[in-house]
Amino acid sequence: MAEFTLDCLGEACPVPLMKTEKKLNELTVGDVLIISIDHSCAMKNVPEWARKQGHNVEIEEVDDGEWEIVIEKTK
Amino acid sequence: MQKKTEQYDVVIIGGGAAGLTAGIYCGRAKLKTLLIEKSLVGGLATYTNEIENYPGFPEGATGLGLMDLFHKQAKKFGVTFKLTDVRAVSLEGETKVVETFRNRYEAKAVIVASGGKPRLTGAKGEKEYLYDKGISFCATCDAAANTDKTVLVIGSGDAAIEEGIFLTKFAKKVIVSVMHDNGKMDCNEIAKAQALANPKMEFIWNTVVDSFEGEERLRTVVLKNVKTEEKIPVTVDSCFLFIGYVPNTEIFRDVLTMNRGGYLITNERMETNISGVFAVGDVRDKFLKQVATAVGDGAVAGYGVEKYIAECEIFEQQILNQGNPSLVFFYNAVDAGSRELLPKLEEFESNAPHIRVTRVDTYKSDGIAKKLKVDRTPCAVYLEEGKIAGVCEQEITVEALQRLCQEIF
Repeated sequence: MAEFTLDCLGEACPVPLMKTEKKLNELTVGDVLIISIDHSCAMKNVPEWARKQGHNVEIEEVDDGEWEIVIEKTK
Repeated sequence: MQKKTEQYDVVIIGGGAAGLTAGIYCGRAKLKTLLIEKSLVGGLATYTNEIENYPGFPEGATGLGLMDLFHKQAKKFGVTFKLTDVRAVSLEGETKVVETFRNRYEAKAVIVASGGKPRLTGAKGEKEYLYDKGISFCATCDAAANTDKTVLVIGSGDAAIEEGIFLTKFAKKVIVSVMHDNGKMDCNEIAKAQALANPKMEFIWNTVVDSFEGEERLRTVVLKNVKTEEKIPVTVDSCFLFIGYVPNTEIFRDVLTMNRGGYLITNERMETNISGVFAVGDVRDKFLKQVATAVGDGAVAGYGVEKYIAECEIFEQQILNQGNPSLVFFYNAVDAGSRELLPKLEEFESNAPHIRVTRVDTYKSDGIAKKLKVDRTPCAVYLEEGKIAGVCEQEITVEALQRLCQEIF
């Protein structure tokens, strides 16, 4: 149950989603990936994609317009 | 993993215009309020580049900008935000439970503001290419990625045409599949005229999607002419679906009353079939779905929750009176006849110190009257051991009230 981080600050869609997808592939089930983003568009497609894959998703607003998407890999 | 339990007065499911407005009203009423949003606060409005018909913004506003203001206002009134999706609900009991994957939230009332999600075509191959694989639902999100590319837009409503026009700022060509005859669209006339005059836009009339094809990524969308059955393959880089929405109500199935389309049925107070559960905004079966109407729904439900919680407390503590004798007098403050009975009630009260007397003005709210099945004023209800022991509706006098309470002894 390791924790990984991915810095996507300053990156617009679809870059955060592509990076997330790639990174999550390298992880094992139970691992947690924390993605830092500041583009609101990534708030839509990254959680949406991850949930569709069946992973657990929770988001923290760390600052005004800055978020951390927490994905727990489930399969 | 053990879920953590937290208590709130009210949990709002969904952070669009309706949920945020309900949050503003609940927060301002000093209720401990939690709003759960699955991704970006602001909901469907954030998908719109321009909102021109929301009053108070004569210059227009961006969807994201407007919703940001709603969000700030809700935060100002102390609403707690949690950005995750709701997994399950249990609404029937006095205490409602809303579960996310890590937490269990208990609340006295729940407001469902879960809105909708984009409708799919149901065509072959669709599931393989959703989101990052070529089928998109958000022009604002994916426009930049389609710079100098060819995109296909499905639909001819306001969203389809306006977002299609927006996409022409990036894409080299925007092809629109319209199911109607040549020149006929579902959108407003201004958008239609703009679209027809746009050199980058091309229309394929009388068509619907037959299948989505490609390999790793979407490559071809095969359209079908609804009149001739002719198949038209269109090579594209991305396809945007704007063919309406379906309500997000799966987790409420068999619990809340909904219409055939899955939209929740409420009365004009936004109350669902379960007391203490309200529904607002696009998830509700209603005539017009706009930011302006969502705001109205949210205000009504926020006020309704405040009243519901206050009345639950009065009912529990004062009217049920731990099973001890309790008399409830219902009157309507605007009706002189029932108002004039108040001094008589005072006289009765001073002679019966062992009975707890509660006065309920139904003009302010009729929640308690409904709980005791009282539908007219003036009316007196006598309770013992938490149950209705007698009702007096006509000729309410001190003697009649004494008789009402004495019959029991």
